Amino acid sequence: MNSPIDIVVCLKLTARPGVADADERFAGVSPADQAALETALVLAEHSRGSVTAAAVGPVAAELALREALACGAHRAVRLDAPSALDSAEVARQLEGVVGDAAIVVCGDYSLDRGSGSVPAFLAHRLRCAQALGLVSVDHTGVVDRMLHVVRRLDGGRRELLTVPLPCVLSVEGSVARLRRAGLRDALAARTTNIDVRPSAPMAAHAATAVVTPYRPRARTMMSPGDPDPLARLRALTDATGSSTRGETVALEPGEAAERILRSLREWGYLD
Amino acid sequence: MLAVIPVRDGVLPLGGGEVAAECHNRTLLIGAATRTAAGDLSGRVCLAEVGPFQPGAWANAIAAAVIDPTGMLGLPKIVVLPASPDGRDLAPRIAAALGWPLFAGAISVSASSVVLARDGGLRMHTHVPPAAFVATLQPGVRGTDNITAAPEIAEIELAFGLHHDATVDGVLQPDAATIDLAEAHRILGGGAGLGSPQQFSELAEIGVALQASVGATRVVTDRGWIGHERQIGTTGVVVHPDLYIAFGVSGAVQHTSGLGHPHHIISINVDPFCPMMQLADLAVVADANAVVHELLVRLRPLDPLDPLDPLDRAGASRE
Amino acid sequence: MSDRTQHAANPDVDVDVIVVGAGPAGSCAAIALARAGFSVVLLERGPFPGSKNMYGGVVYPRILDELIPRWYDEAPVQRWITRRSTMVMTDTQAMSIDFRNDAWAAPPYNGATAYRPDFDHWLAGHAESAGAQLLCSTTATGLLRDRSGAVTGVTTDRPDGDLTARLVIACDGVNSFLAKDAGLYREVAAKHYTLGVKETIGLPKEVIDERFGVRGREGVDIEIIGCTSGVNGGGFVYTNLDTVAVGVVLKLPALAAQQLRPEQIIAKMKTHSAIAPLVEGGELKEYSAHLIPEAGLSMMPKLATAGLLVAGDAAALCLAAGIWLEGVNFAMASGMYAGQAAAEALRRGDTSEQGLAGYERRLTETFVLRDHRKLRRAPALVLSDRVQHRYPQMVAAVVERMFRVDNPDPKPGLRRILAQERKRAGVRRRDLARDGWAGLRTFG
Ligand SMILES: Cc1cc2nc3c(=O)[nH]c(=O)nc-3n(C[C@H](O)[C@H](O)[C@H](O)COP(=O)(O)OP(=O)(O)OC[C@H]3O[C@@H](n4cnc5c(N)ncnc54)[C@H](O)[C@@H]3O)c2cc1C
Ligand SMILES: Cc1cc2nc3c(=O)[nH]c(=O)nc-3n(C[C@H](O)[C@H](O)[C@H](O)COP(=O)(O)OP(=O)(O)OC[C@H]3O[C@@H](n4cnc5c(N)ncnc54)[C@H](O)[C@@H]3O)c2cc1C
Ligand SMILES: Nc1ncnc2c1ncn2[C@@H]1O[C@H](COP(=O)(O)O)[C@@H](O)[C@H]1O
Repeated sequence: MNSPIDIVVCLKLTARPGVADADERFAGVSPADQAALETALVLAEHSRGSVTAAAVGPVAAELALREALACGAHRAVRLDAPSALDSAEVARQLEGVVGDAAIVVCGDYSLDRGSGSVPAFLAHRLRCAQALGLVSVDHTGVVDRMLHVVRRLDGGRRELLTVPLPCVLSVEGSVARLRRAGLRDALAARTTNIDVRPSAPMAAHAATAVVTPYRPRARTMMSPGDPDPLARLRALTDATGSSTRGETVALEPGEAAERILRSLREWGYLD
Repeated sequence: MLAVIPVRDGVLPLGGGEVAAECHNRTLLIGAATRTAAGDLSGRVCLAEVGPFQPGAWANAIAAAVIDPTGMLGLPKIVVLPASPDGRDLAPRIAAALGWPLFAGAISVSASSVVLARDGGLRMHTHVPPAAFVATLQPGVRGTDNITAAPEIAEIELAFGLHHDATVDGVLQPDAATIDLAEAHRILGGGAGLGSPQQFSELAEIGVALQASVGATRVVTDRGWIGHERQIGTTGVVVHPDLYIAFGVSGAVQHTSGLGHPHHIISINVDPFCPMMQLADLAVVADANAVVHELLVRLRPLDPLDPLDPLDRAGASRE
Repeated sequence: MSDRTQHAANPDVDVDVIVVGAGPAGSCAAIALARAGFSVVLLERGPFPGSKNMYGGVVYPRILDELIPRWYDEAPVQRWITRRSTMVMTDTQAMSIDFRNDAWAAPPYNGATAYRPDFDHWLAGHAESAGAQLLCSTTATGLLRDRSGAVTGVTTDRPDGDLTARLVIACDGVNSFLAKDAGLYREVAAKHYTLGVKETIGLPKEVIDERFGVRGREGVDIEIIGCTSGVNGGGFVYTNLDTVAVGVVLKLPALAAQQLRPEQIIAKMKTHSAIAPLVEGGELKEYSAHLIPEAGLSMMPKLATAGLLVAGDAAALCLAAGIWLEGVNFAMASGMYAGQAAAEALRRGDTSEQGLAGYERRLTETFVLRDHRKLRRAPALVLSDRVQHRYPQMVAAVVERMFRVDNPDPKPGLRRILAQERKRAGVRRRDLARDGWAGLRTFG
């Protein structure tokens, strides 16, 4: 067997999406980050390696790190920084923690920002290979310093990749279920020392945004090719992105079911 | 503005045409069989025929070409890629190589404003961008323009330096398990509003009765309640049903952009104002879990299930 | 966090004490023990203390003076209760006794509305800073026992999840699995429980201030009889800063018999002309339900057995006696006394049932059991059919006739009205006298 492999897993603590005021008590890491942690732990088990959990953020982020320690991460590093950094900046901060680690595992996108760009920024800084948006990771290759993974493409296609180490991976939440921390480990993790490092000096940036509820953009469409005039009309009217197209009703569940079935009959989907 | 579109085997990625249109038809196609893909575009198209996807190598080469004053790309200040898997993976590396900021997952991009979908696609962040930046455009939000003329094609040589990339061993065509979804005329979609995996087995039963396939949002596939191959959306399967019934789906842009244009949409949600309800022909404000149950009872009349007992309800809500 | 030893003095066990449940009872027990220098593990099944806990909305934290002096400077309070109403209603009438006390708006205060996720989280924070080890997302699934039957620890739902201790304090709330597992309850019938359900309704603070006639941090607490669609029970309306809690407490057998759903009962109550103007136009934020141990003394389990103490709702110490709905203060007090008694027993090295007798003694000497003794007949009385169905009718009718102006007829005498309305409501004089006497003995 080759030398042990050091693995870094990047965890981001986010408030529950949709919850307006970011209350840290309700915060957690995304399913994707949980899957990343499990992937890192299994890779380490297959290679006698060690796992470092890293988070960029304020003290609250240690919640995620302690959970990682409880699950078996060997050490934890928090880069002290405000929570709303842009992705390039997060990657820059993380670079210092990664050092000589052979594998960095991230979630494929964070719940709030959802850019999925931190891992690619990190790979660029580290000048190493990346394999992002993975739906499966074969752990056996790790001893040969070659990972065989499956990446999701569009249209339901998937890509088989061989990734040389060092590399940055990002995984989808469905890749692995995070193990449940043992009782003693969970207790011990409460007081394990977390290595807190001041953040590297931050690049000034001004990403102030106006925040509004999501509204679909007006779509431009090719002129409808459908020979049916009604369908053409429909395509055109839908294309304006007009928001309300139907009726809204508040009903008890039983009535709701009746109403749905009635509409399905009217529209010809049911006899 | 320049559209940078990664091409695989002569096929444009999801959202490729929209990015070209957003950039007023100034496009760089990079990848394999780019000339074939150019047939779906108009305007000025540069082709970089460089083989399989290699984000590390490509990013540096593209960045060099973008800032090359003698090059044929015309010194664009705004580079836009589709937020398809390849585009999303490539864009940050191009941005980093250029030292320009990245706006990922935009709904619209122009020199004066960039609108991003954030918080699970439920909110929009509108930015006034700097002079030079890179963005990815969410597929399905814009639509494409009519192609009026054949593209004006030029080939471009990119300079590759030393790089590290993964090697592509092959591409798997869509899972047999998802074929039915991609081709289904009727789809039942389950979202985070459904409370447990149990509802998805009930949904499958309803699917049998209505001759519909079952799909889900990413929140659900991430939880492992249904296979990831059943995820509907721009990063999952893009579907084109006639009928879509959404149970507890908020209607995030990444989901609805992969929905095609159903003739009929029914949405069941407790929030009457979420985007899925706005899109629906019939928007029902109700608990989707209970509605699933009631539908099942009605579609399976031989086996009526006991109504909930108040004591059970009390017990259940203690959990 | 204090640097006090994290490990048990006795090397054969993991910790000195395991407290199960980080509700008000558990946190107070943990504070008392950790301050006394013992190692404590506080287990909570929710992701954080209070995350899943619900109640009506008013706490009376006086008892905290002992554990957290000047708690009122830091506790996460919504409003200070300065106005209490007791309301009797029929479908179309309502009569209130309304009391306002300006002194309750200043330290040391009396009651306050607070959200449980805030309050429990805050209290558990004090347990942690006292040195207790709080472990969330962890459910105690059973008790460990030695050959003699003495409790020696708990099993949990985590891998490698057995934890041993010299003493376990069960503060796991109503329907305590641990107290039952230890055989401390004789039999627990459904009739001993009421079901509490509550809606939290969002309204702008200024609107609440105006509708309830309060300002600043002043708050209102309204208890209601006769608003439960014929199901024996009671209702309440409490003000938070920018939400109003509207709820009902329903007797379980009656609820089952009437075939009504709790949310229907709340919906009906909200349409009553005495309630509707208070909550109109609000946005429903939350609906929740929880059981309440209602029968007080008559269902109280044994409070201790070798190696185990039970406190708070787990010991059925909630006081749900009609116009009183107090549980959090009883939970905090019993938790604290359990912690003190446990510390005493541990110091003496005797955690047998006799060694733990200091707990029940403390409860007997203080309001915890005194109030329960005194009000032991209250639940039965308040939830009796007469109080529930006949008296509201009668009282409303009497008051209506007193205030009705029937000129040119002269005003009738009160005595006559009383007698007529008593008959009309079908209340026998004997019962009225008996209930009056019971009420006096109970509440007097
Ligand atoms: C790069 C990227 C790619 C993505 N790709 C995809 C993709 O391909 N496909 C996809 O689906 N998502 C995708 N997402 C995720 C997407 O942004 C949303 O987070 C996701 O679609 C939301 O799923 P949801 O509607 O199930 O959950 P939520 O947004 O949490 O919505 C749940 C809905 O259920 C309702 N609800 C709650 N309880 C009930 C109840 N009892 N009864 C009825 N309704 C109830 C709520 O009101 C809400 O509207 C992607 C995100 C990113 C960042
Ligand atoms: C509708 C309603 C209205 C009420 N209104 C009021 C009011 O206005 N004022 C008032 O003072 N009281 C009120 N009460 C009563 C009050 O809520 C309770 O008496 C009080 O919460 C009891 O506190 P406790 O600590 O004993 O239990 P709880 O508050 O129930 O706490 C028990 C804790 O233990 C945890 N737990 C349970 N089992 C386990 C396990 N196996 N392992 C680990 N953890 C576990 C739970 O998650 C919880 O955090 C009301 C109750 C109801 C239902
Ligand atoms: N502040 C952070 N600290 C640690 N890891 C992060 C942070 N932000 C993002 N990441 C990682 O990058 C992934 C993608 O995030 P994003 O690019 O924000 O969508 C996440 O799933 C994490 O693994």
